[in-house]
Amino acid sequence: MAVLIAPSVILLLLTNAYPIVYAAFQSVHDGSLINAGDFVGLDNFARVLSGEAFWKAAGFTLVFTITGVFGSWLAGLGIALVLQQKVPARGLIKTLLLLPWVVPVVVSSTSWNWLLSTDSSPIPTLFRSLGLGEVRFLSDPFLAQVTVCLFIVWLNFPFMMLMMSAALTSVDESVYEAAKIDGASPRQQFMYMTLPIIAKPTYISWVLMTIFCVNEFPAIYLLTHGGPVGSTSTLVVLAYRTVFQNFQTGPGVAIAFIMTIALATVATFLFRQIRKSRVE
Amino acid sequence: MTTTQLNRKLGSAPIRRNLDPADRGKWKRFWLLIAIAAVALVPIAGTFVLSLRGNNGTGDFTLENFVHVIVDTQVVAWLLNSLQVTLATVVVSVLVAAPAGYVLSRGRSRLVEGYSLLLFVIQSLPVITSVIPLFILFSGMGLADNLIGITVLYVGSSMSVATWMMASYMDGIPGSLEEASWIDGASVFGSFWHIVLRNSLPGILSTAIFTFLMAWNDYLVASIFLRSSGTFTLPIGVQTFFQQHSTDWGSVMAVAVIMMLPPALVFATMNKYFSVGGVAGSLAGR
Repeated sequence: MAVLIAPSVILLLLTNAYPIVYAAFQSVHDGSLINAGDFVGLDNFARVLSGEAFWKAAGFTLVFTITGVFGSWLAGLGIALVLQQKVPARGLIKTLLLLPWVVPVVVSSTSWNWLLSTDSSPIPTLFRSLGLGEVRFLSDPFLAQVTVCLFIVWLNFPFMMLMMSAALTSVDESVYEAAKIDGASPRQQFMYMTLPIIAKPTYISWVLMTIFCVNEFPAIYLLTHGGPVGSTSTLVVLAYRTVFQNFQTGPGVAIAFIMTIALATVATFLFRQIRKSRVE
Repeated sequence: MTTTQLNRKLGSAPIRRNLDPADRGKWKRFWLLIAIAAVALVPIAGTFVLSLRGNNGTGDFTLENFVHVIVDTQVVAWLLNSLQVTLATVVVSVLVAAPAGYVLSRGRSRLVEGYSLLLFVIQSLPVITSVIPLFILFSGMGLADNLIGITVLYVGSSMSVATWMMASYMDGIPGSLEEASWIDGASVFGSFWHIVLRNSLPGILSTAIFTFLMAWNDYLVASIFLRSSGTFTLPIGVQTFFQQHSTDWGSVMAVAVIMMLPPALVFATMNKYFSVGGVAGSLAGR
């Protein structure tokens, strides 16, 4: 048995455990990418936590994650419910709807940029011709936030659709037949039967999607680079920019490390919850 | 098929189509979904249209953008780099995850349970935390800006999900199969190799598709590690391209289309083997 799991353990130590330990070391030093520098205690953490950028990014991470999780869940569940019933060419439609998730994010962010970025792009032009005025999707801080949130929903609803479709196929049809005979309305059937039956896969999909959204980097960075004026910077984008654009390795790693501690705590808790619900 | 079944099939179908309200709604649902898909696919359709449109201002459809990026730029080299890294990642991931998944599936000790938790926690951590230390480590080993180095990183970052997917699939293979082979004198390794792996093909394919997508689409790790254009994978290559030729949408979109083809092809041919439910199922079931 030990031989079979050894490659996995070695890889885990090399590519995950070692870097986290080293990152902990870096976060309490004032060095650069190449040189670790002097020990500075918790200075990096203090600097990061007292800065405005960190809290702004933390706030947007929260908004972005909540919209990402529930937006894509609602869209994915809605489509999965329709796909659950008789639909012509169901397989083809399902495959088409998967495309936003399958297409590389470098490609889709490029397309979104082409659609939105300048005043002469197709969507601003359309808005203008509809009499909605000049809409600057990526250069207005608030609209850029809205756009980034829409983008993450667009990217992830197919994943939710797959998860929810899988959950719905496990629902026994005869339960609905019985409910219909008892006079339950479609809304009642959904609220009191479908939702409880798919509760556990739903919870798991929320957990996974939360982790995806908190850690999301390319979707935001490629669309807006975290701007304008930092409005769409999440903590990951902020950490990246701190290290690779401002070359402040210590504070950058400190931001990543605060996230790591928070996520590890939450993940351990959520894992226990999932385990517990399995036993019952 | 019995005569009754045949009669029912032949006889009742047209009548039911007229009467069953569920059938009447199906075209309504069809058009609803087509409308949703049409809106959702605008960005992707735009990519195709732009890639095929000439730059001479006439708007005629032409392949000149594709010819241009293939002949005049490094796109083919980047495509080969991407293919090489992705295929290596898929093969190595399966080779690492399949035996580890077997241990998670069959092992019942605290150590195995702990490893399962560790994989979950590791999976949830931001990649950015590990990327900087790894950059320093790999630079020292000559593995930064190197296709082998990046393959190791991709295997490392897809390992947790890949292992769960394999474990969850193997949970469905009855243990009695191996027990029988043990009685016949096979070793644990032998029965894993000959019995379990042979029965795990759908699980292996599902894991392979997942790691394929992860490696093919990665931007973050590649953008930090790959520094010279000779080692660029497509996502990094197309970015530099984008910055240099920002007005030349035709060429940019031609590269984008080239980049979309492999994952689209994989999905078109292997769709039925892929279940994202497997990711959830492995979480729920373990």
